[in-house]
Amino acid sequence: MSSSGERKVSASLGRSVRGTTPRLADLASTPEAPRTPTLGRSVSSLFGSPGGSFRTEDEYVVIELGSRYVRGGFPGESTPRCTLSYDPDNQRRVGDYRQWDPEYGQKRRKPKRGQDWGQEFELYRMDLSQVDLGVVEDKFERIMREVYNTYFVLDTKPRRILLALPPKMPHALMSTLLDVLFGGFLAPSITLMSSPVLSTVAAGLRSALVVDIGWAETLVTAVCEYREVHEQRTVRAGKLLSEEMAKVLNAALDEHAGYQEFDDISFKEAEEVLSRVGWCKSKPRSNRRTLYFPARTSPILEEFEDAVETPEPTVTIPLSKVSPPSEIAIPFATLAKPADNALFATETALNEFDDHELPLHHLIYRALLSLPMDVRRLCMSRIIITGGVAALPGLKSRILAELEALVHTKGWDPVRNYGTASARHDHILRQQKEAVELRRQEGDDKISESLDPDNPLPAGLRGHEEDTIDAKLAHVALRNGPPPASVVGGIVRGVETLGAWAGASLVAQQRIRGIVEIDRERYLQHGLQGASKEKEVSVVPQRQSMGPGVARGAGERASWTLGVWA
Amino acid sequence: MAQPFPYTYYACDCYDGNNTSSTKRASQLLQEAEEEERTFDPRSPRANYSLYPLEHLLYCEDCQQVRCPRCIIEETLNWYCPSCLFEVPSSVVKSDGNRCTRSCFSCPLCTSNLQTYSLDQTGESAPPFILECQYCRWSSLEIGIEFEKGQGIAAQLARLGNGGKHIPTNKERDKERERRREVEMRKSRDLLSPSTESTNTDTERDDRPPSHDDLFSNLTAFYKSQVDTQTPSNPFSSHDINFSSPSAYSRIMNLYSTTGSKKNKRSKPSAMREAASSLEGLTIHDPISDAAAIERIKREGWGVTLSPAQKHAQINPNVRFTDEIRPLATLLCTKRSKRCRSCRQILTKPESKITSTRYKIKLLALNHIPRLSIRALNASPPTPVASRTAETFDYNALKPGIPAHFLLHLSNPLFDSIKVTLATPSTTPGKVHSRVTILCPQFDVGANTDIWDDALSSSLSPIKRGSVSEGPAQIEAGKIWDRGRNWTSVAVEIVPGFTNSQGSGSEEQELEEDEDVLEIPIFVRIEYETDAGADDRGLGDSRGSKGEKERREEAFWTVVGVGRIKGA
Ligand SMILES: [Zn+2]
Ligand SMILES: [Zn+2]
Ligand SMILES: [Zn+2]
Ligand SMILES: [Zn+2]
Repeated sequence: MSSSGERKVSASLGRSVRGTTPRLADLASTPEAPRTPTLGRSVSSLFGSPGGSFRTEDEYVVIELGSRYVRGGFPGESTPRCTLSYDPDNQRRVGDYRQWDPEYGQKRRKPKRGQDWGQEFELYRMDLSQVDLGVVEDKFERIMREVYNTYFVLDTKPRRILLALPPKMPHALMSTLLDVLFGGFLAPSITLMSSPVLSTVAAGLRSALVVDIGWAETLVTAVCEYREVHEQRTVRAGKLLSEEMAKVLNAALDEHAGYQEFDDISFKEAEEVLSRVGWCKSKPRSNRRTLYFPARTSPILEEFEDAVETPEPTVTIPLSKVSPPSEIAIPFATLAKPADNALFATETALNEFDDHELPLHHLIYRALLSLPMDVRRLCMSRIIITGGVAALPGLKSRILAELEALVHTKGWDPVRNYGTASARHDHILRQQKEAVELRRQEGDDKISESLDPDNPLPAGLRGHEEDTIDAKLAHVALRNGPPPASVVGGIVRGVETLGAWAGASLVAQQRIRGIVEIDRERYLQHGLQGASKEKEVSVVPQRQSMGPGVARGAGERASWTLGVWA
Repeated sequence: MAQPFPYTYYACDCYDGNNTSSTKRASQLLQEAEEEERTFDPRSPRANYSLYPLEHLLYCEDCQQVRCPRCIIEETLNWYCPSCLFEVPSSVVKSDGNRCTRSCFSCPLCTSNLQTYSLDQTGESAPPFILECQYCRWSSLEIGIEFEKGQGIAAQLARLGNGGKHIPTNKERDKERERRREVEMRKSRDLLSPSTESTNTDTERDDRPPSHDDLFSNLTAFYKSQVDTQTPSNPFSSHDINFSSPSAYSRIMNLYSTTGSKKNKRSKPSAMREAASSLEGLTIHDPISDAAAIERIKREGWGVTLSPAQKHAQINPNVRFTDEIRPLATLLCTKRSKRCRSCRQILTKPESKITSTRYKIKLLALNHIPRLSIRALNASPPTPVASRTAETFDYNALKPGIPAHFLLHLSNPLFDSIKVTLATPSTTPGKVHSRVTILCPQFDVGANTDIWDDALSSSLSPIKRGSVSEGPAQIEAGKIWDRGRNWTSVAVEIVPGFTNSQGSGSEEQELEEDEDVLEIPIFVRIEYETDAGADDRGLGDSRGSKGEKERREEAFWTVVGVGRIKGA
């Protein structure tokens, strides 16, 4: 795009562009704060009105980057066009086709010397001392070329990129990735959005506690009105889980008769077993040492040691990487152990953990504990569990149950009851029953109290009245307020998300501009150093800074920032 | 390597040059300067990304440089389905996506092509039809799908969910959402008024949990309404925004100046809120689905689950069991032209006809860069019997510690004769150290003159050695081995290293994959004189008068794969 052409555009349309495109921060406006005027131009395009072609160059592709996968697709689509993984088989020289050789496929590949479990399957690590950025660039360039050439198959018009990234990525690493996207794929601009915020968007929420159980680490991010307000990390995540699964499989192989060579299980085999038949006990084991449960009636108490089934159910796992191909049978219960060990560390006492290796439920609890009370109230009822490991069956239920148990024993603000995630039918029944009660209480003024985040009701006042109040709220909502489900707080509740990619797709479709938007020309001139140093973190300064921006009439942003990545 | 021995790779060094951020540039320059001195290491992790077989490289005549897939820009010319060879116009690609919209599908389990079959017993091609994999025998019956017509499978499948359920279109989704919202409204109204009879009539329709697509569509509608409700509250109509108008400007400033004032605080209910029901895309976690999945794995085991590759190939990768998969519509292919990244010169341009494999323009590196190859010289033992082993030389069993002779063969595609300088490290980089000596590192190679010249002169080639009749070959340092019209070969002595570490430490020294492969990095420099300004494209250029010569020089790294060293 010629710069002179762009300048012309900015002279005539730029200002309105500035004003018309809603930004995520605009959506974040609270009732108290004045809202930025976001005009209907870009919105009208959604209805196919003539305004739709307003900014034709505004076409986006949506890319989500993780350490092991890249997802790419188009705005408004529910799923990415492709999900590609970094696999050593795709990192060979051009013209090396050995992975198609059936004989080769039967061999078990050993990891390279000095490399961690699964390191060849990663794009990057956050610890740059363990990363060769040149290799990152090479790998990323190659996989993006596949994304563009095989899956995007675009015409020649350059596309803007909406890039979903983990927050707090080191700058050198970000530069490497942006270099590839600007240099190799000619993006006119790249908008960065943080994955936890996008996961929140894809859950229909504005605030949430996003638990992203990724590969190298689990990242717990408290998001409040689309802004990250707190985060905690632990290494208990996919990599540990996969290593634990490998241990289980190796142990089973050792016992398996007929194996002379005790060839360790390969990374890919462990990953496949984990993703196919791995699972997680969905309820905490009653563990007397840690004394989760106070002596009070709670469904958790009903869960004792798992009843032993006879015969013990097993899962038969085929092994194709040995010759002759064979299979091993592993007790079904054993396949849940890796999750117990890697993510919850059930066998270890809490005081033995370093800060970076807290079990998931403790990590989440700590994250919640460190939040201001009103934010905590919102977040604990909006726990989004996402990331590659989140699909492990039983895991989400387990995390929520463990957390609930922790809150029960330790408490900061007692919770009401377990089972808020119960089936819809239950809920409907209850609603009906309580309709009577509700009518009796109509006119009461408890609603506003419970809504006021600064004065959460004492536990005693809330108790079992939850549904009454909710139903009452529904009544109010019908007239003018938000519906009850959107103001739930103070209970442990899990909310499903369609994932960060889907969130990015939604955001790009609504043409909401992100806070961090990097213009190609500026980046090529100054790199990341071009970003102004201010962090746009809180809503209010952001808003103020937009005023003068509009007043100056600058079509392009006078400056840009790196937001959470600063 | 998976390429048969012996082989040659060429390195494109563009990865140093295409950096975009200025922050990197300075350090990169320094690094480059160092790199001049450094030997190319074929085992460095980056080497895999810069080495290409010569056939894969293009050549930019303007830049006089090799171009690899990384230093070119590709432009799509047209789209087509590789299976039915139907060309798809770009507008359809835009609206319908990157897959065949006719009847081409691949197997969700094994990725082979699916075939449409009629289940009709009479032998007629009559409904119902199914898709079946010829390789693994998977068929659409396994997910409960039959088709009424044998054509337009993609369109039928788009409306058929697994088990034959109807998949709503976006419009139907919108309608259904409206209908259910009405019902919900009515319900909650009823809830608050004495007559509660009319509730529950619709609950059975709620039973099926919304699909990924349903939820996404609900979220889309929800956010759209959020943005909409926020928008009309401003005083502008959406089609005549003019920020330069003073009145509009002051109105904006008014809006902003309310910061901190409580004036409007409660005047309007906030339009911005969270999704409140599954109609708006909210899904509360439900342990029941988790429990069901666990139970199913326990009961049915490995066989009903999908591998990671099978999942990722699905349009919706959030699936677990074999009854959730969908046939995969064939991905469209493209014909693309390629340009030089730095000067935008077109390097290749295919003919636009789908079925044609020809190119209008094709600037291949092999027409501009000498081809280097290696092969074993069967020099020892020089018995007539052994001479036949030249063809059966086992490149996969090089003997460690025993000197062996090979021939480096360099052929010249240029119309000018070239002066070649080869350089190689005396020992190969990597775990296994092999010694390498090029006996004649500097030599000339003749021009690629008319083929008939060669035919006429071939019988009188100046040197002719190494043939069976001449007995023991003489290898002399500083002398070429053989030469033809536009090629020259020189001898190399190689002493393959030992693959077992010789007592160096007690640590685990087991070799990794391919560490026993003998690869030699060879730096090739060519110099030649050519007619100035006269490019191969034959553009008459006024620069440089005829007959004026221009000196050119090119240099690049190659990696020659000699063979695999036998374990001792
Ligand atoms: Zn290149
Ligand atoms: Zn087709
Ligand atoms: Zn198949
Ligand atoms: Zn060029």
